Amino acid sequence: MAIAALIIFIVFFLIFAVFFAIDYNRRKNSNRKYHKNEVIVALLLLIPAVVLAFFFVVLPIIFSFGYAFTDYDLLSPNDIKFVWFDNFRMLFKEFANQGEIFLSFRNTALFVVLVVPLQITMALLLALFCNNKRRGTTIFKVCFFAPVAVSLSVTAFLWLVILSPNPAGIMNSILKNFGIPAQDFLGNKNTVILWMVIISAWQGCGYQMLIFLSALGNIRKDLYEAASIDGAGPFRKFFTVTVPGLRPTMLYILITVFIGACRVLIQPMLLTGYQDRSMTLSYYMYQQGFTYRHVGYSCAVALVLTIVIGSITFLQRKLLGEKKK
Amino acid sequence: MKKDYRTLEPNFVPARKSKKKIAGATIYYIVGITLSLFFILPLLYMFSTSTKTEEQIAFASGTVMMFIPDFSNIGHFFDNYGVVFGEYNIWKYAINSLIYAAIVIVFNVIVNGLAGYVLAKFDFPAKGFFNFIILFLIVVPIETSIIPLYSIAKNILGLKKNLSVLAVILPSVISVFNIFLFTQFFSSIPKEYEEAMHIDGSSRVRVFFDLILPLSKPIVATTAVFTFIGVWNDYIWPTMVLPNRGDDSWPLYPIQAALTSIQSIEEITSGQVMASLVITSLPIFILYAAAQKYIVKGFGTAGLKM
Repeated sequence: MAIAALIIFIVFFLIFAVFFAIDYNRRKNSNRKYHKNEVIVALLLLIPAVVLAFFFVVLPIIFSFGYAFTDYDLLSPNDIKFVWFDNFRMLFKEFANQGEIFLSFRNTALFVVLVVPLQITMALLLALFCNNKRRGTTIFKVCFFAPVAVSLSVTAFLWLVILSPNPAGIMNSILKNFGIPAQDFLGNKNTVILWMVIISAWQGCGYQMLIFLSALGNIRKDLYEAASIDGAGPFRKFFTVTVPGLRPTMLYILITVFIGACRVLIQPMLLTGYQDRSMTLSYYMYQQGFTYRHVGYSCAVALVLTIVIGSITFLQRKLLGEKKK
Repeated sequence: MKKDYRTLEPNFVPARKSKKKIAGATIYYIVGITLSLFFILPLLYMFSTSTKTEEQIAFASGTVMMFIPDFSNIGHFFDNYGVVFGEYNIWKYAINSLIYAAIVIVFNVIVNGLAGYVLAKFDFPAKGFFNFIILFLIVVPIETSIIPLYSIAKNILGLKKNLSVLAVILPSVISVFNIFLFTQFFSSIPKEYEEAMHIDGSSRVRVFFDLILPLSKPIVATTAVFTFIGVWNDYIWPTMVLPNRGDDSWPLYPIQAALTSIQSIEEITSGQVMASLVITSLPIFILYAAAQKYIVKGFGTAGLKM
């Protein structure tokens, strides 16, 4: 591994040297020459960031890519063989046999399909709700935003108590008032994903609400006035002024919420543990790589995940982004 | 010319309007309060339960009293907190988290700030190479390289007992997005300020600490706030790299990771569990309240990401 890291470093250094030489030569004959002292100080000041970024950002990404084609196992770290596409073959075989990876894919897809529209719609409605000059909207904003301040693990532990299967649990004791018998919300394979969706949207949408609010504040007021003069009602104004004004923000929120939803990990981990009914792709990857120590296979899963998420994000940008003419 | 209709019909029109307004406002506030309750009831439950004894919790079960603290036992209000602090030593984990956060924030601002400063203000060959890498890392969504990151941390840092603390700190110090933010912000500082200091004979590093950083308070504060939240709320990474809670007197776990072990204490009551959750959340609530201005600014910069 040290050798691989060294090779990667040398490759990067060579690319850097080529860029350096090109830039240097381009300026050689002009009157805007580089100052030797400035260049030295610049490179020296960059060293801490470059070293840390190399080891903790760049190297993990490249290794993640490389390990995907090996049988690297943390239990026998000195015995790494290239197995080419074996990991991917195994992955697709697992998928076809409806193994754990199929279940985690199904759960993740279901989670994403439900949480992305729900969370964005909630955030947008809350933002529109708060976007006026009435007294007290600040208090509402604080209430809607409050769950964002609570960490994922605290949220999970809190909802674990609220959704306790015990008949005396919070949700069950409330439902009892309506004559509904005690439920095992997180133990039931039909409802566990639904609750994960509700918890995530509950916790996350205040954040997107604030982004929507700042975008709403940036829409030019004279556009609304112009629409009023043209006789547009509130709905007409919403669709002709507000919606186009929110478009770039909408795309940003869609992509970030989508990516966040695809990597959902802490909720299933703390709410149910590693179970068929709730495991997600990130959790599967974590379990394979960290608990079972099959780093190679885990990285293959990560690579597939990256390609899937990357291409969907790319599609979203292409379909919904500003049309360049 | 616009006619002011109020002068034409002085009584009728405003009166009708205000009635409609009152009805509208009433509906608005009812909807608003209902929505707010949906968001804060779980949090109210968390807080009110943390102040109750087991009997009071059982007594309140299923009624509105679940969400309201019981003021009849005001003398024993913080008993659960006393146990969580005194017996389960949650303050040690809180101090761990604070130390991690403080170190990470200081180095994060210095390391990424210096890199941003160099990219914004220096003229040197191969600048485009660094800018390209930064943009690439921001734009391309790379999924969870956490497993290789773990194997690298294990290989170069060894993850032996106390050294594993470095594995918690170092990866959080570098943030490519912060370098990008700093570069953007520093570029907007006029060159004349710097040149004035150059004439005084200050070195470039001094210019950074004495001029650039003080001028960049908003962006430094935003970064610090978000870094603090990130470190305080981090759960998975510390549980991966730190040794399991041993018998030694001072554990290494930060507070979020410690929640799991506190939860699994056998004799813990649900009031104490909720007290530990409140203690874990409180600093973030306070921070959000105190640093509102910077957080809203942070949302402005979030748009830059696209």
